[in-house]
Amino acid sequence: MIVKYLLAALVAGLFSGALMTVAQEARVIPLILHAEEFEGGDEEPAAPGAEAQPDASHEHSALGIGATMSEVAAYFSPISVAHAHEGEHEDGGIMFGMSRFSGTLLANLVTGAGFALLLAGVSLVTGNAITVANGALWGAAGWLAVHLLPAIGLPPELPGFPAADLGDRQVWWVATVVLSAVGLYLLILKDGIAAKVAGIVLIGAPQVYGAPQPADIASNVPAVLGAEFAVAALATTLFFWVVLGLSLGFANEKIGVSEKVAAKAA
Amino acid sequence: MAASNVSSVSLSLNDRLYAGLVALLLGGFLVFGAGLANSSVLHDTAHDTRHSYGFPCH
Repeated sequence: MIVKYLLAALVAGLFSGALMTVAQEARVIPLILHAEEFEGGDEEPAAPGAEAQPDASHEHSALGIGATMSEVAAYFSPISVAHAHEGEHEDGGIMFGMSRFSGTLLANLVTGAGFALLLAGVSLVTGNAITVANGALWGAAGWLAVHLLPAIGLPPELPGFPAADLGDRQVWWVATVVLSAVGLYLLILKDGIAAKVAGIVLIGAPQVYGAPQPADIASNVPAVLGAEFAVAALATTLFFWVVLGLSLGFANEKIGVSEKVAAKAA
Repeated sequence: MAASNVSSVSLSLNDRLYAGLVALLLGGFLVFGAGLANSSVLHDTAHDTRHSYGFPCH
């Protein structure tokens, strides 16, 4: 019984993650690749030797499916990930020697399953079922909590964008997602003026507190690319969440139907 | 008995909370691994996903 609900979430998440990969390849990945041509200015303390390289070419050399040599060599490099702006494809290496696309697909499937489980978990814990009829709204609420509201403080970044300390941003991001989700729950699903006010306060609190910002906002990446990317990232994630909400509603209703059939048969 | 079906999720309260908490923990773990974990292999594999989803990256 319980497992069935988790399986429904997994199926919906994997499906949405696969579709998200298509949307990403169409709208987002080209902008990331373009931005990487400008990445690697002077804002990062690069490893000795790395900064002598020209901005453009070395990132792309590791992108091809066949270019595993540099990845393997880079696997043993001691540069920490926190300083990986220059050579992020040269210090960790993609899992199992996969191509960049396979890595992205795998990550999208994992992320899709993860968000689907979180959405299903909120639905189960609060006792509000996700159906085909309200699935798109659940998805939209998830998008608001995980993407749009955090993006007010931390817009989706392209590689090469200046940013504050990674740990600070992650803490603010996670706190904002959680507070926004709880706030949206109080605002949308709870009755009573006190709950609505508390919801608005929770949603507003992290924005008033403010996201960690970089001291220096100069970047080699053209601003037009950043604007296009921010819109593309928010649009594709909205697509992902609406698909996720609808498919989760569909999967839940399938479970409900099969249970009624089983109950009749018993 | 008529009042027992207010929640439209057809599980008993305990089962529902249990399933929900398991889903939240598992989902949080997966999202953390793909989006936030500070491992260079995970970072590089999920790099484009992290940027596309607007996770804080780098």
